[in-house]
Amino acid sequence: MDAWLQLARGPLFWAALVFMLLGLGRHLVLTLWEGARAYRRAGDKDVPGRKIVADTVRWLVPTRTLRDRWPYSITTLLFHVGVILVPLFLAGHIALWKGALGFGWPALPNTVSTTLTLVVLAAAVAIVVQRVVVKESRVLSRFQDYAIPLLIAVAFGSGFMVMHPAWNPFGRDPTLLVHVLSGDLLLFLTPVTKLSHMVLLPLTQLVSQLAWHFPPDAGERVGVALGKESEPI
Amino acid sequence: MATAQKYAYNVEQRALEEGDRPRRFLEAFGAILEHGNYNLALDTYARTSAKCGRCAASCQLYEATGAEEDIPCNRSELLFRVYRRYFTTAGIARARLFGGFTLTDEYIDEMAEAFWRCTACRRCKDTCPVGIDHGLVTHLARWALSEVDLIPRALLVSVREQLEGKTGNTSAIPLPALKDTCEFLSEELQDIYHVDIEYPFDVEGAEYVFFPAVSDYLMEADTLMGNAALMHVTDASWTIGTGDYDGINYGLFYSDRMMERIVRNMVKETQRLGGRKILVGECGHATRSAWYVPAFGGPDAPPVVNCLEYAYDMLEQGRIPLKPEKIPERVTYHDPCNIARAGRITEQPREVLKAICADYVEMTPNRTENYCCGGGGGTVSIDEIRAFRTGPLGRRKADQIRDTGAELVVSPCANCKKQLRELCQDNDLDDVEVVGLHDLLLRVIDFGVPEPSESEEEADDETEAVRAVDA
Repeated sequence: MDAWLQLARGPLFWAALVFMLLGLGRHLVLTLWEGARAYRRAGDKDVPGRKIVADTVRWLVPTRTLRDRWPYSITTLLFHVGVILVPLFLAGHIALWKGALGFGWPALPNTVSTTLTLVVLAAAVAIVVQRVVVKESRVLSRFQDYAIPLLIAVAFGSGFMVMHPAWNPFGRDPTLLVHVLSGDLLLFLTPVTKLSHMVLLPLTQLVSQLAWHFPPDAGERVGVALGKESEPI
Repeated sequence: MATAQKYAYNVEQRALEEGDRPRRFLEAFGAILEHGNYNLALDTYARTSAKCGRCAASCQLYEATGAEEDIPCNRSELLFRVYRRYFTTAGIARARLFGGFTLTDEYIDEMAEAFWRCTACRRCKDTCPVGIDHGLVTHLARWALSEVDLIPRALLVSVREQLEGKTGNTSAIPLPALKDTCEFLSEELQDIYHVDIEYPFDVEGAEYVFFPAVSDYLMEADTLMGNAALMHVTDASWTIGTGDYDGINYGLFYSDRMMERIVRNMVKETQRLGGRKILVGECGHATRSAWYVPAFGGPDAPPVVNCLEYAYDMLEQGRIPLKPEKIPERVTYHDPCNIARAGRITEQPREVLKAICADYVEMTPNRTENYCCGGGGGTVSIDEIRAFRTGPLGRRKADQIRDTGAELVVSPCANCKKQLRELCQDNDLDDVEVVGLHDLLLRVIDFGVPEPSESEEEADDETEAVRAVDA
């Protein structure tokens, strides 16, 4: 068990982390690169920067979108708060980082982390239930739409049990192994699933605006490419 | 050319006859991705789409039908699937290893139906938590579909006439007929308002070259009289070009290849006349297309002004003489999606209406959150889907209008006006009149001409009667 734990916390963790960082970095670089190319090709260079920033901030602080289907919106908002804060600011995680990197950062009080963990668990279950119950979500859902919240629930649930042995019917090490492996898997999946929105979401408004900024001769070029330049309509 | 009835809308026979559509669709899609700016957006959307279904809550069509295929995200996924499979390395590799999705004729038919059930109003964009612009996806998909001839025939024949026909406009109005219409409108202005207003043609060096939806010359006499009256009382230098007098651009609805050509023609005509600005009439999509003048028109492209912006500026400057009496009926305003969704023109028409109407009320929601009239994205021109437009697509708008209790619905858009009139007819709103903003302005502009006294009017009538007898 100890060897498995060492593997999961050591090489597997670092491999997953590097894969995630490289993958997300690739998304970010390619998006900015392609965005710059789209801007250079655009006939109208007047891209409304202020509006894009305002829209992006509005999307990241989802007050407006809370109005439609508010149970789903509130659930997902709380889910995101916990999913972002707990892994980064849990005192136990920061201690591990300090051991590895030599420096740490301020941690959330454990009571707050515990509360947020329970919120994430409840929200993850609620999200899956709503996906099943609400028709509009159910018909759209893919395997990853169910699997990712459940995998996050496994990571948070096992983490909670490691932190609170009184609530843990299993041994500490197996639970810790599940926690670390599920975390590793999530890191690994981030760039190749919809989790990539963690770096792409702040760029969506920019990307949409650039798409509406047409190259001046795109239509003509498409016509030539398809051999239709002199074809009657 | 014969039409075929395979889809909800008519297409030309060749759309069904030419084989190998999947290959041709993919070639077209690939060329569009290569030469356009859509690739990045499509890639980002396809990666981040959360499949939450929240867009469904903001779609008036889904609200009415509850059908899976009308969920915006579901519709966009149709194109994402093709993109992932044929234009991403992972998709190509997965297909080679495991098989899976293949583009078929049936799948293309499914897209051809789905992307023309959407009005591209872009309301769902504002509720998508990851910011996917489903209207953009519809716009792109329709272009790719058009390259395999899947275009509603109503739009295709209009564009054909505009770009290749003798008249050069979507309503096929020959120039002499246009001039006759304008003469008639001048006579109407004289008869009703006792004011001499000419419609100027080919005035070189005019400040504004006027491009209304050409259908206004057939359907919206009051709007055009209002346009001319406003230019008259504000001493504007304006003209109608005889080389191109149509602001309509159905390219926006189905093909950037066409949109580009139509916009360039507009710029060429303005430059031929030495005009300084393009003035677009009451038309949402014509305005939005004209906003692409800087994209397609080159570095010397003229600036674009919408007539609502012009009216508001003139009102602000105190240059519109108004009668003391305001419009007495209850008036509400419908925001055309193409000018309001992005927040570009929402307040100007409201300020004008508040200044001239005694009982102005808002419909809810409004401005950037407005509901589409139900005829957006070119669907209003497809007469064979009227029951769909005024039924599930337009029901929400009909309810909105009913809730205001308004007698007059103002919509400064040729397409919205046609749709709203049909909507009112088909939804028991017979007492509601749909008008343009300039129709109302015309009623309250003070031309400085004294109202003829009753005796003068009687004398005029007698003179007319004598003329009629003589004739």
